[in-house]
Amino acid sequence: MGSRILIVDDSSMSRRIVRGILESAGHEVTEAADGMAALEGYSLQKPDLVVLDMVMGGMYGLDVLQKMYELDEHARVIVATADIQTSTREMATQAGSRGFLNKPIKKEELLSLVNSVLQERP
Amino acid sequence: MITLNARQTDALTELINITFGLTAARLSEMSDSRVLMEVPVVGVHPVQGMAGELGPLISDADASVHQVFSGPISGDAILLMDYAGAVTLSNLFVEEHLRSQKFDSSTGEILTEVGNMLLSACLGMFGNLLQVHVTFSVPQLHLESSGDFMAPVSVGGDERRYALVITASFNIFGEGVNGRIVIVLGKSSLELLTEAVDRWEGSPAAVSL
Repeated sequence: MGSRILIVDDSSMSRRIVRGILESAGHEVTEAADGMAALEGYSLQKPDLVVLDMVMGGMYGLDVLQKMYELDEHARVIVATADIQTSTREMATQAGSRGFLNKPIKKEELLSLVNSVLQERP
Repeated sequence: MITLNARQTDALTELINITFGLTAARLSEMSDSRVLMEVPVVGVHPVQGMAGELGPLISDADASVHQVFSGPISGDAILLMDYAGAVTLSNLFVEEHLRSQKFDSSTGEILTEVGNMLLSACLGMFGNLLQVHVTFSVPQLHLESSGDFMAPVSVGGDERRYALVITASFNIFGEGVNGRIVIVLGKSSLELLTEAVDRWEGSPAAVSL
């Protein structure tokens, strides 16, 4: 059975691509185009998993990640970003991210990571 | 004046080739289309001489994606493309019956995100090489008829500025698409980068690549 997944990305192209991959695997997807909408969406929907971009207008992804864990310490968040820096990966991991992917997203990598994180205990 | 010697140019070209090659491979997989990339050409030009030396390199551009980066190294990163190349690139990501022959809002949106991926990969590689953290602004799309793509450049002050120009050529759907990435750096940032390239060029990590 599919899970409920929230995609947070300011690029509609990226949201469309990630949505297509996740829906093809049977997941139910909602979207947010910025950090504030993401936090509101998370509070209302309590999704099983969040796929979060880092560089966005308004709130930076890392701030969204931290606030999401303030809302729910059991939140499951995967970071998907074009930023390939090792330091960014480390910062996301320290902030509680359960996984890290670099854009352009590879379908198999995304689905494998999503499945792996969904199987973890909340 | 800072110039890259042959070894530094070769090492930087190889680093960028590896980084962009990975990005092109991912774009190819995402779009289920063949994206071939030629080895990029790298050069450094003083910004003062930009009109003379850099002008011919950017005069054919119609659109740009601009990101400001900051941290221990800072500056501006700009992807430049002509409209035809941008349309070909954006058609990778839409279904065949929706492919466009002209530059429209969808083209702009896709060019912005692909620009973000290429610029972030390039700048991220610099961050990893220098072992520092670089932060990026949200990418901005500019359409210019005057070709004045350098107007939004943020690096200022009295410091002499340099442009690291990377010419990347892709082949998509059997068509040649040329894009140029211009990275404007202050003298101190460029010196840090060339020192890091020298270290990388002589390190075991370079051999393992």
